[in-house]
Amino acid sequence: MDKRAFLTLVAVCTMSIMAFACARTVNKTETVSLRFSAVVGQAPLVFNQILYANPGGEGSFKVRDFLFFISNVKLISESATYLEPGSYHLVRFDNNDRTYTIILDDVPKRDYQTIEFSIGVDKTANRSLIAAGDLDPNSRMAWSWDVGYKFILFEGGLALDDVLYPLVYHVGFDENYKPLVFDLQSSEYQDLGMLDFQVDIMKLFNGTHPIDMTTLPSVKFDRQDAKLIATNYQSMVALCAVTGCPSSMRLSIDQGTLPF
Amino acid sequence: MASTVIATVVTTVIAFVIFRSDGEPALATPLTGFSAPFVFGRFNVPKGNPLTVEAVALGRRLFYDVRLSANNSISCATCHMQHLAFTDGKPTAIGISGKKLAFNSMSLANLLWGSEHFFWNGRADSLEQQALIPIQDIDEMGQNLDELVVELNADAHYKAMFAAAYGDINADNIAKALSAFERTLVSSNSKYDQYLRGEATLTDQEDLGRKLFVAHPDVKTSLRGGNCIDCHSQFLTAGFKPLYDGFSNNGLDNEENLSMGLQIVTNDPAHRGFFKVPTLRNIAVTAPYMHDGRLASLDDVLDHYNEGTQLSSTLSPLIMEADNVVRGAQEPISLNLSDNEKRAIIAFLHTLTDHDFLTNKSISSPF
Repeated sequence: MDKRAFLTLVAVCTMSIMAFACARTVNKTETVSLRFSAVVGQAPLVFNQILYANPGGEGSFKVRDFLFFISNVKLISESATYLEPGSYHLVRFDNNDRTYTIILDDVPKRDYQTIEFSIGVDKTANRSLIAAGDLDPNSRMAWSWDVGYKFILFEGGLALDDVLYPLVYHVGFDENYKPLVFDLQSSEYQDLGMLDFQVDIMKLFNGTHPIDMTTLPSVKFDRQDAKLIATNYQSMVALCAVTGCPSSMRLSIDQGTLPF
Repeated sequence: MASTVIATVVTTVIAFVIFRSDGEPALATPLTGFSAPFVFGRFNVPKGNPLTVEAVALGRRLFYDVRLSANNSISCATCHMQHLAFTDGKPTAIGISGKKLAFNSMSLANLLWGSEHFFWNGRADSLEQQALIPIQDIDEMGQNLDELVVELNADAHYKAMFAAAYGDINADNIAKALSAFERTLVSSNSKYDQYLRGEATLTDQEDLGRKLFVAHPDVKTSLRGGNCIDCHSQFLTAGFKPLYDGFSNNGLDNEENLSMGLQIVTNDPAHRGFFKVPTLRNIAVTAPYMHDGRLASLDDVLDHYNEGTQLSSTLSPLIMEADNVVRGAQEPISLNLSDNEKRAIIAFLHTLTDHDFLTNKSISSPF
């Protein structure tokens, strides 16, 4: 190897090392996406059609509107926790592909073990005029400022004997703020670029005690009724495995055991 | 609880949302001192049309200028009169053709907040898009835009005003100027605003009305409500902002007589009979009511919501479901408010009248 070739080699190596170093810097953060798809039971959600059986009684129902809040999205590794700033998302599916996506930019690259978020609005922001994320005291999710936000809004109708009865399930209150935690350690969920979640609306009504929409067609301010739906929506979201949805990987967790 | 919350509101109202803009024309002066109550929430001014002193002054002049109509007989202000909160007191507007138009003239207040779709059926997606439609409509102002540009170009005063605000006189800049002026029509000094700021006290009747206004009734918890807030947000009293959340079928017609409404725009049968939820700011001076002006008074409006709603396939489930007494399955829809409660809601609605807004010279005719 002559001297010139050697110098060229040195130059190329140096540049490669610099490029590699730069790339390393760029790769210190990543983009994490959470994509939620809506289903009712096993089928994708269809709005405004009477397609779904009353889980606890007679008749079939339709979904006219379905919205809910996801708050405080966190990625947790052994050494640190990433919390999305201003993390209040009003999830809605009235779009063409019936999905809702949360994109987290500039997430520090770490070996995350779990992802956590909550259904509802935390007690600091609930009953406040804080304008963060999708919170808006002039929105349809606000009851009034001294009552707070609806965490989940379901409006529709129950068809029974040729009559359409209104269905109104508005659930809020601090005690119904439900943190959910999902395991990311299994090799099936390594790709944080797109985490797929499934939201099963039927789970609102189909918990330990299936709800009969003829006897409970609306839930608003009664704390026991609200608690019933909230207990159900705790298992409404599932993280999908690469092999498909829904997954049973959701860790069970009691409300209040997590710092938030 | 209530007093703590009110204290919070009062404290936060002191903080104002101050307008800032980017990218205004080099010569135009950013509008300073433009502010709105904190409780109205965030707002966006389009990047391509920042609020400037020159743009607003030009828009104001255009708004009140009869030259915007074909025969120079009417201006925007003919159907949008300041002392009526920019409405005209007629069931439906009448333009240069003398024909009765399809819709009631909408109030122009607080247009920076609430739904971003304009007209009763939502057919314009911005104020800029909205502004040119009545000017050209053959029954409204019947003006040819090219002729209007020629007409305005012949006026040295307009040439100077356009040059300072935007540049050339053209249709786009006419629309921008009108929109800029309309965005400054902020009504925020009613008794209700003063109450929210801690400067005024509501009477017992008004406060009962306010409580009913913000409550969806729930018999199970003995909560009585007028159900207004299900469509009219608590501070703005207007429809909701996202997507078409600010549109609803409020039960004016049965299935047979249900008009297209928003379905014209979205092509979605679920939107049939949906119309824009208007602001209730200054509602006491904007009679008659509803998209076609069919209800003459606030008493009629309360009677409609209390016992007059008609059933149809797209009627809001919130209206169907809301009741202050336990209702049997076959009984007609009714809120079952007492006369006293209806009067209280009307008393509260009167606290939304903002006399400053109705008389403020800076938004009245410059001619």
